[in-house]
Amino acid sequence: MRTTLCAAVVSLGLLLAPGAKPLSAHHAFSSEFDAKRPVKFEGTVTKMAWINPHAWIYMDVMKADGTTEEWMVEAGTPNTLLRRGFTKASLMPGTKVRVDGYQSKDGALRVNGRDLTLPDGRTLFLGSGEPGAPPAK
Amino acid sequence: MSDRWLTSMFIAAAMIAVVPSALTNAQTGASGSSKPPEAAQAQTPKAPAKAPAAKAATGKAWTPIKTPWGDPDLQGVWNDATSTPMQRPNGSTTDVLDDAESATQFEEKLAYDLSRDRRDGGPEVDVNRAYNEHWMDARRLKITSDRRTSLIVDPADGRIPPTVPLTPERQKIRAERAAAADRFNAGMPDVATELSLPVRCIIRTDSPPYLPTIYNNNFQIFQSPGYVVIAPEMIHSARIIPMDGRPHLGKTLLQWLGDTRGHWEGTTLVLETTNFRTDDGVAYQGANPATYKITERFTRVAADSINYEFTITDPATWTKPWTAVIPWTKVDPGEQMYEYMCHEDNFDIVHLLTGARTREKNGEGKR
Amino acid sequence: MRSRFGRVMILLGAAAVISVFWLTVLPTAGQQAPPARQSAPFPPYKAPRLNGHPDLNGLWQAFVTANIDLQDHEAQSGPHPEVLGAYGGWPAGQSIVEGGEIPYKPEALAKKRQNLLNRTKVDVSNDKTWHDLGDPEFKCYMPGLPRATYMPFPFQIVQGTSPYILMAYEFATATRTIRMDWKGEAPTDTWMGWSRGRWEGETLVVDVTGQREESWFDRAGDYHSDALHVVERFTPASPYHMIYEATIEDPKVFTRPWKISFPLYRRMERNVQALEYKCVPWTEELLYGKFKKPS
Repeated sequence: MRTTLCAAVVSLGLLLAPGAKPLSAHHAFSSEFDAKRPVKFEGTVTKMAWINPHAWIYMDVMKADGTTEEWMVEAGTPNTLLRRGFTKASLMPGTKVRVDGYQSKDGALRVNGRDLTLPDGRTLFLGSGEPGAPPAK
Repeated sequence: MSDRWLTSMFIAAAMIAVVPSALTNAQTGASGSSKPPEAAQAQTPKAPAKAPAAKAATGKAWTPIKTPWGDPDLQGVWNDATSTPMQRPNGSTTDVLDDAESATQFEEKLAYDLSRDRRDGGPEVDVNRAYNEHWMDARRLKITSDRRTSLIVDPADGRIPPTVPLTPERQKIRAERAAAADRFNAGMPDVATELSLPVRCIIRTDSPPYLPTIYNNNFQIFQSPGYVVIAPEMIHSARIIPMDGRPHLGKTLLQWLGDTRGHWEGTTLVLETTNFRTDDGVAYQGANPATYKITERFTRVAADSINYEFTITDPATWTKPWTAVIPWTKVDPGEQMYEYMCHEDNFDIVHLLTGARTREKNGEGKR
Repeated sequence: MRSRFGRVMILLGAAAVISVFWLTVLPTAGQQAPPARQSAPFPPYKAPRLNGHPDLNGLWQAFVTANIDLQDHEAQSGPHPEVLGAYGGWPAGQSIVEGGEIPYKPEALAKKRQNLLNRTKVDVSNDKTWHDLGDPEFKCYMPGLPRATYMPFPFQIVQGTSPYILMAYEFATATRTIRMDWKGEAPTDTWMGWSRGRWEGETLVVDVTGQREESWFDRAGDYHSDALHVVERFTPASPYHMIYEATIEDPKVFTRPWKISFPLYRRMERNVQALEYKCVPWTEELLYGKFKKPS
């Protein structure tokens, strides 16, 4: 049984405090990445930059004609991963990764990494870095 | 107007959803400026309770510990993430959810709305959910242990007070800011300096009041004789607070993060901050820096819990002062803060600007 | 004798007597080996304790000009004197490197010279070459260690009773946290590195690894690789001085480890505090101006 409070918790688009002007969306992904350009591909990692404000995964992706092009996949803050025990050794060049995301509006080979999985279907960076390993002290 | 960039990640998500069902929800707990989820309240209005500010979660008395020099000890790494919205959902008059079942349902519903793993709602909604839950702070899916329905405890309706009519000059600034925001939202900014302060990596979560956001909700408190220092994870900075009663900086020496002085009231750390720069976006929600006042109070109520309370006053912006309480939880001893530099690798600015120029060349962006 | 010769002799004799008198009375400073205090500039000092350890709390600042150049350097005009005049000038300074010179591998010196030529150039149009040009300081990027210590700005040491010591630098609000007695390695590379500390008697020893290879040591183009390993020593020398030493090791760039050393001075002004030096806005036109919408 759900109370009406919970059942009706909804969002309404621009969330406005009464009387306040709408705030700008200061990092709306939709400002940079195009909902009309979904992409899905599998590529090979050449490098991962564990940097802020965004981690970036560089990947070589083979096209249908056999040539390769380089994509950059935008990800979140690496700090969240570091806290769970991942390190810069956790994604090595040569790893194959499947990317599901939205391409940059200007057509550049950049995608925000909505879903990143390994070929066997496991989500990249899900869970903790080392199964069973305590945080290093 | 505030430049709470990460809160706007959620606002952005919310901006897309106009369907009245539980599609997406902005991280209302993170944003003082976003509207909370619409909610139809069970019709049992209660008298607004007093601010439950300093109540220990378990109700058990906790003996405060002190540093060797006699100050209340707040040292450690603390996390302030929560799903509890800043403002009470519209139509709700319940300030605290009394029974476990309604609290659980409230929490589960918020967690569902905030979840970044969902792919439903169509691409316009989905694109703003980047990236996935495993990049996010899982603690932000929990309501506060005292089960309040809003972080704001005063006014009694749990909402930011109405704004007063703005001067024409401030209206003009807001209009310019809104126009720049529109360009940003379309991915077509004109110049780097019209982007928000957070996107420019000038200030982020480190500007008071401290508000929860999607990740890196961590603050490390250091203490030494005569000082309390608060280091937020985003961006990097250290708020060095003299406790020796010295005066504030002179009135003409203004700073992006203002100038803070602290004193103890019993076991509560009280901070007063003045000397904010007058740039747009420095004071919370575009408040008027000359008349804006923020007072913050930190009370450690348990070994693993601090109550962070802030009161904001600006008669040039809001009809009355307002206060919120956000619990801070100590992180595991093995956890720590990590470096968050921003400007050094801020590729986003170049992507946005060069992307805009490319699209303009292709005929887009006629306004 | 009243001859001239006699009078001259009497005068000479008197002068001799007076000279001998003064020479025997004066200290024989010029005639000894250098005084012992040149090799031990400060008497041994034991700082007040905090929680059993030397108390390093305070606002500290270096007064060497090593941020311009770690090695000997003449005064110079700095970039664009036609615009900045004497405002843009940089003072002379003596090397803080033990032995005077940084022991670069011969092939590594070429990169230093290139850095120097490119120190005020920027090009952020391509993510992959974003950091290739320009002194990071010029762009208001983080200085790393040891450079943050000898920037011409104060920094606050905050030492309490938690297992962390904070150093907060006025330059660009850079901070770094020293994890005391910590074993875990750096999970990734960061601009201010991964600092682990321990006490050795009166000295705080800090081991810094995991620094981003893009940071520089100074404006003269002195640089390092991702193999950089820095060991710092902070030793209070008086209530107002602390001796800072840093050993720098990078087998990819230098032939051997090398060491710098200089005093840090406690800022003594009444109510002195670290202020803000947020330089990011001053670099936006420089970095991003060429991408703005043409008017």
